Amino acid sequence: MKKISLTICALFALNLLVLGSPEAQAKLNVVTTIQDLASIAREVGGDNANVDAIAKGTQDPHFIEAKPSFMTKTSRADLVISIGLDLEIGWLPNVVLGARNPKVAPGSSGFLEVGSMVQPLELPTGKITRAEGDVHPLGNPHVTLDPIRAGEIAIVIAQRMGQLDSENATTYMTRAKAMQKRLQDKTKVWQARVNKSGVKKAISYHKTLTYFFDRFNIDNPAILEPKPGIPPTAGHTLDVISLIKEQKIPLIMVENYFDPTVTNRIKESVPSIRVTVVPVAVDGAPGINSVDDLIENLIKTVEGK
Amino acid sequence: MYRNARNNFAILILPVMGMALFSVSVFAESSGNSPAPSYVATGNPGAAKAFNPDVSVNFLGYARRGSNNSGQLIGRTSDVHDGFTFQEAEMQFFADVDPYFRANALFSLSPKEDVGLNHAVNPATPTGSPGFGLDPEEVFFESINLPMVAFRGGKFKAALGKHNTLHTHAYPFVDAPLINQDLLGGEGLNETGVSAAVLVPVSWFMEATVQGLNNNNAVLYNSANSGDITGVVQLRNLWDLSDDWTLEITPFGTTGKNQYASTSSLVGSDLIFKWRPAVGGKYNALIFANEYMQGHIGGNPAGENLGGIASWVQYQFAERWWVQGRGEFEGMNHSAGLPLKRKQSALLGFYPSEFSGFRLQYDHLVADNTTTEHAVTLQWNITIGAHPAHMY
Repeated sequence: MKKISLTICALFALNLLVLGSPEAQAKLNVVTTIQDLASIAREVGGDNANVDAIAKGTQDPHFIEAKPSFMTKTSRADLVISIGLDLEIGWLPNVVLGARNPKVAPGSSGFLEVGSMVQPLELPTGKITRAEGDVHPLGNPHVTLDPIRAGEIAIVIAQRMGQLDSENATTYMTRAKAMQKRLQDKTKVWQARVNKSGVKKAISYHKTLTYFFDRFNIDNPAILEPKPGIPPTAGHTLDVISLIKEQKIPLIMVENYFDPTVTNRIKESVPSIRVTVVPVAVDGAPGINSVDDLIENLIKTVEGK
Repeated sequence: MYRNARNNFAILILPVMGMALFSVSVFAESSGNSPAPSYVATGNPGAAKAFNPDVSVNFLGYARRGSNNSGQLIGRTSDVHDGFTFQEAEMQFFADVDPYFRANALFSLSPKEDVGLNHAVNPATPTGSPGFGLDPEEVFFESINLPMVAFRGGKFKAALGKHNTLHTHAYPFVDAPLINQDLLGGEGLNETGVSAAVLVPVSWFMEATVQGLNNNNAVLYNSANSGDITGVVQLRNLWDLSDDWTLEITPFGTTGKNQYASTSSLVGSDLIFKWRPAVGGKYNALIFANEYMQGHIGGNPAGENLGGIASWVQYQFAERWWVQGRGEFEGMNHSAGLPLKRKQSALLGFYPSEFSGFRLQYDHLVADNTTTEHAVTLQWNITIGAHPAHMY
């Protein structure tokens, strides 16, 4: 027992030495919850930041398991960047708590939630209950699928990085503004391509693509889930088929962490409809390495390319 | 004996106090002000509610049919009988206290039980509803502002293997493994004391936990001396073998004075593989878990030994469906007076959402190669409110 106690004290002292070393301060250590945020943070942070993400681009960010290895990663972070809006409510609190790192505790300058800063959509009005499914009381959290909001997020991240590393604050902001400008310019081109495609309505599996549809003026009259978070039912699928026929909806985009087999039934009834499984996060498929790649791929899907 | 107990106390508490002294300096650095009474601003009445604790209620019940109506052999965590049973309701409140601590208060409303080393259910209440008791299952505060260490004080589930830290509604099966019940009682080792859990700075996840608890556990300790302290140590290790696989190896142990003025001790280990693919992980997962425990209760009259292992596999084969199997053996290095038990369980689970679940479990138990019990249980598991996420 004495040996165990002494060992723990020795390891604790060693840890303090590690935390206090100047080497640890050389670059900002950034941990993001999702790959989209990591991609933005990498561009803003450049050589001044080491950026790592927790969720893979192929995983549903609502349901990540709080692996202890994420705690180890977060224990060394100077900054944790999350979407917030309850997207990571099922796992991030445990990761941050288990990390035992006061620098990134909620409320500290090392903990940043970006979702609420970019005007979330679908804010519920009135009383909500779980009978409505997996609703987000603070608004739809899939904000990074709007390139304009992604640019705004870059600015928010640059501001926070600048607070934590004032020496390089100007550099962070310069990179963020360049990214924002690029995404704004591309959005104009993407919008023109969507207009040219003639697609005005599309269906998704979940409300993941809300911001993408909203930005590019594509109506999203139905989702394949009867309620958010509830798998498709036969009755709801029939309703969706009726709606597709009635409104002549040409496209279904299934986010690639969902099972697309329900669309087989729809395709039988409406053979003309285009069904595509799409990545909805950076790293969600080979070649999707940035927000630019992600949106470009979605635009191509709308175009049918 | 008392001097030994005091030595144990000192060995456990000194490192905790050392780290606590460090924590005082961290608090002073981050605060700058001494604590003072605070009052909620009244400008926006709705804002005041933001400081209310998150609240959740979880309740469990089951319908059971067994070949032995008394359920004495199956070994449940609460009273067991055929028919419908209200198993437990857990009311949980949790919130940050201030910049330094969070607090969690969980109260359990459950049938009163009387489970001993041979886990015989109180013969006075073999059937029907036995009445209920409201107990503080876990009520503790924990530091949130210290680097690499979390201090905890209050009543909590000891870091004595994976299963001992689980609440009833999070058990992988309807009941706890036999060895947990027979060495630690229906509630497990869940006592009042202090804890320090250190995140050890190595390349994988390693958490070293040392705890000092009172000796009230009815089965393992039940010391007559309220000054006696039970020591608990655990070293949790977890490796990411790949993006899909993890391996966890967690040795643990506890020792302390018991009701026979002697020493009880328990050692054990978890070995857990988990698989959840990064692609398609919403629909498929696999858990292969093993928990081994070996206990010794000294002085009764010559001392009792009991060891056992539980191994189980959980496979998620669809978004809302799990199929599971468990095998248990109890009787490794066991004293002659204690029965040797073998038990097999199979479970089919359906979870309409994160907040509701229905599980059908079959149990087959053989004690001393003679007595056999079969039982089928259908359990419901419902949660309302803001329930905190479960640990990995």
